[in-house]
Amino acid sequence: MSNQVTDMRHDASFAPPLGAEPGDWLALLKPRVVSLVVFTGAIGLLIAPGHINPLMGAIAIFCIALGAGAAGAINMWYDRDIDAIMRRTTTRPIPAGKIEAGGALGFGIVLSVISVLLLAMATNLCAAAVLAVSIFYYAVIYTIWLKRRTPQNIVIGGGAGAFPAVIGWAAVTGHIGLLPVVLFLIVFFWTPPHFWSLALYASTDYEKAGVPMLPVVKGARHTRWNVFIYTLILFPLALSPWLLGLTGWIYGATAFVLGAAFIYYAWGVLRDAQDEKGVSLSKDKPARAAFKFSILYLFLLFAACAVDRLV
Amino acid sequence: MMAAAKKDADYEKDRMPRVELTESQWSDEQKAEFLRRRRARNFLLLAALGGFCLMIYVIAMVKLHEYGQMW
Repeated sequence: MSNQVTDMRHDASFAPPLGAEPGDWLALLKPRVVSLVVFTGAIGLLIAPGHINPLMGAIAIFCIALGAGAAGAINMWYDRDIDAIMRRTTTRPIPAGKIEAGGALGFGIVLSVISVLLLAMATNLCAAAVLAVSIFYYAVIYTIWLKRRTPQNIVIGGGAGAFPAVIGWAAVTGHIGLLPVVLFLIVFFWTPPHFWSLALYASTDYEKAGVPMLPVVKGARHTRWNVFIYTLILFPLALSPWLLGLTGWIYGATAFVLGAAFIYYAWGVLRDAQDEKGVSLSKDKPARAAFKFSILYLFLLFAACAVDRLV
Repeated sequence: MMAAAKKDADYEKDRMPRVELTESQWSDEQKAEFLRRRRARNFLLLAALGGFCLMIYVIAMVKLHEYGQMW
């Protein structure tokens, strides 16, 4: 340690950091994740029965985005040690030295409080309470408690991404109905095949960081089977809003086609050419395709739900 | 007495010299960049604060207009 300090002292190029750019603070909010959250939240708002003032609706979506971003900032604060190890995350503002850890935590907490208070003011206490629970779920239950403890982290943590549709619905109605609960379950069961497809080809990063993702702990073959099984469970679940009469045939037909296509992609992951240890011989081409398709799947499924309710 | 003085001398020798890890080590360009970033951050904070106040105002206006009460 003392050598390191001495080196820094004699290094003429060493200087304290210049401070963060506004873009670095924005990066703390995980804008790409937030975009999907905004989309599912907006769908929840659109499909809910009843009326909401458009301005209040826009503020509600803004609050959902702000809350999700705040949870992302707290996640980056807690994961700063492993983010510095994983290649995919080394450029994040904290490991890159652009923002101090304490600053990121404060930023996350302040934005969390603001988003919940604003949502309570603009809509109702039910929506604000669900938003608060979703922030706690992602920041504490998933990030702090589960992520580094169990290979099932993604299964239980999937709940965090499933909340926005429920919040959107609650913002309009003031309560939680059956349809948003089913949508919650769809996102919950969609998350494992989505994330494990990614983890199959990014497992070296997770292994280096000591995160017990399923491919690291149980191996690639076991993970492929899990991707396939969860996709099979997702198929009837995604059809259930139509089977229960909560949506019409537009959603039903879309869910059927998308579900069949997702099973096809998951089957490709399962049948990928592997060596005796289960390591892909095709550089995980099917897993990459399944990961990309899973994003399209959720986007189209929720869009179909909105179209179905609005037509 | 001698031992204490030696201990102090050793302590001074081992101790890190006082180094100001601040702007003093920056070049003029780095100082200008630091000031630019700090100004950008301050404007952003001001805009965020203004936006927050505006949002509360809008919420209050819409709620009072639609329901005649805030809560």
